[in-house]
Amino acid sequence: MSMPGCSRCRTGCRVARATRLLDRLGLFAVIFLFWTAFVSFADGFLSGVTIFGLSRGIAITVVIGLAQMIVLSIGQMNLAIGAIGGMVGVATGWLMQVVGLPVWLAVGVGLAIGAVTGWLNGWLVTRTGINSFVVTLGMGSVVTGLVFILTRAEAFRDLPRAYTQFGKVRLVEIGWFEISPLFVVALAVTGAVALLYRGTVLGRRLLATGANERAARLSGVPVDQVVRTAHALSGLLAGLAGIMLVSRLGSALPSVGEDWLLPSFAAPIVGGTLLSGGAVAVVGTLLGAVLIDSVSVGLTLLNVPSFWIQLFVGLVLLLAVLLDRARTVAIAHGRAGAAGAMGPAAATGSAEAATPGAAR
Amino acid sequence: MRAATTVNRPRGRGFGPEWSWLAGIVVLECAVLALLEPSFLTQFNLYVVLRGVAVTLLVAFAQLVVLAIGQLNLSVGAIGGLVAVCTGGLMEVWGMPTLPAVVLGLLLGTAAGFINGALTARTGINGFVITLATASAFTGITIGLNNAEPFYDLPARYVAFGQAQLGPIPAIGFVTLLVVLGLAFFFGRVVMGRQILAVGGNARAAALSGIPVDRVVIAAHALSGFLAAVAAILLMARLGSAQPSIGSDWLLPSFAIPIVGGVALAGGGAPVLTTVLAAFLIALIDNGLVLTKADPYWIQFLLGAIILGAVGLNRLRTVAESRDARRLGVAG
Repeated sequence: MSMPGCSRCRTGCRVARATRLLDRLGLFAVIFLFWTAFVSFADGFLSGVTIFGLSRGIAITVVIGLAQMIVLSIGQMNLAIGAIGGMVGVATGWLMQVVGLPVWLAVGVGLAIGAVTGWLNGWLVTRTGINSFVVTLGMGSVVTGLVFILTRAEAFRDLPRAYTQFGKVRLVEIGWFEISPLFVVALAVTGAVALLYRGTVLGRRLLATGANERAARLSGVPVDQVVRTAHALSGLLAGLAGIMLVSRLGSALPSVGEDWLLPSFAAPIVGGTLLSGGAVAVVGTLLGAVLIDSVSVGLTLLNVPSFWIQLFVGLVLLLAVLLDRARTVAIAHGRAGAAGAMGPAAATGSAEAATPGAAR
Repeated sequence: MRAATTVNRPRGRGFGPEWSWLAGIVVLECAVLALLEPSFLTQFNLYVVLRGVAVTLLVAFAQLVVLAIGQLNLSVGAIGGLVAVCTGGLMEVWGMPTLPAVVLGLLLGTAAGFINGALTARTGINGFVITLATASAFTGITIGLNNAEPFYDLPARYVAFGQAQLGPIPAIGFVTLLVVLGLAFFFGRVVMGRQILAVGGNARAAALSGIPVDRVVIAAHALSGFLAAVAAILLMARLGSAQPSIGSDWLLPSFAIPIVGGVALAGGGAPVLTTVLAAFLIALIDNGLVLTKADPYWIQFLLGAIILGAVGLNRLRTVAESRDARRLGVAG
């Protein structure tokens, strides 16, 4: 491997450190700025109703974003997140209303359906070696088609009170600070995913596979199994998001998940997850979701027409990928610099760290 | 140019059998439909099938030219919607005659594709995310321009062209036919077309052979935007109004048709003829569902299943071909 000139690596290191710091602080600062603006200019932004609605919206966006982030971490993508979320939401509604299962059992079965569908995505990817984009595009279409054929586009509206109340009650109510229990669920999921990547073998293997699949395979990582697990986890979280949204809506609509594609990519990428795999930002995904949802709600309160909001989310995502690119380049420089300093051992042993650009 | 020809040669070998397979399935579909549903062979029904193909084929081509360089374009539908609303607006609000409005619409589509290409080529970012983001931006503009309202007041002659037919053949079909011939010529004979295939086959090798890769990537995306614009303008003429919802359901067919047509997702191929057959194959399934009054949601299920089945088959064929090649190598 050729090393760039010494002065360049030193700059690279500094840039890498700076961008990493900027990622954390920058996102906080951007959110803070938007919140300050909305609190000052948008009437009723800091009210119980708005904050409660925001906490419910963010909760669902976070889980959708994490569902995508897990697949991004192995350098693949999942276009079926919305379809799986819709299917699980409808299936859970059917299990509760028609079959009459208790809530906990219906939710458990629903999550299992999501996980199995995701696993099937992973199985197809590993068995056929086909691009995850096409597999999940096809699978998403099959799943959505099935849901609409089986339900005839009818919703299940007669759901148990205990379940629909979960999406309606306020868990915390201190002045304007009203928080939905859904938000606590999302925080718990974020914590669990953070633990997965920080403290478990599976987490390391996910990152190793995403950083450099070949290197991971040669180092004894069971790559195929890891890919299937990643897709299954993604399906599980997509299903959870579907169940949460149905609880919030109070009815199991087959249209659940239709518009999840953009937020599923926007939240993790704005948060700093690398598209090429191998590096994740779990808390960043949470912050990304907070940013996207706050901006949509704030702009709505400012009477900005909804099309501007869609345009804005698109531009934010575009800006985020441009930053992602700068970050990738910076990390590459930084790593080249570090490898130069620590000798070749560091370079070979770092398959589990971020090696960007391998699958681009 | 020798490099480009070499890159493309291996795909040429599998072209014959694939072509006959797809043609066989299409003929079979026609036979089955004609036997089961007498209304299939009526002039009106054939016209309905053909006018559907005339538009979806262009949508598929818009994706095909980007797949040829090994990238994806998620904004094909968004560009279509944007072009439809802008062209409709030029005609209704500014009272612009058909020809200049259509030309401006085509330019707009090309420019939108150019933005995609420039962003992808200049930054080196995955085209998937770039086009996901620009799709959201384009759709935002489309909805905003007329508050999600369609433009209904289009020039009478333009709408008449969209409804005109010659026997069972719709007039808009001739435009599509022209595009088919143009694309076949473009990928077979034109330097830029060959360069697109070369870049898709191996971008590094293409760059080393002196091909301006960035310019080729931008050209492919711009061509994709142009084709999406042609599709939108024809669909608008057919519908008789400029709906902002035009293009919202193009994503799935835009991938399904080229994939069934046997395009290599890794890039390097642009099978125009098999893509045409694939468009017919899918349109006939759709038509069969309509004629048998089946649940319309079946088409979404089947499209997904067809995508999965087609990539699976392609994969099997590639594996078999490489095994053949290895055996030949050992024998020789």
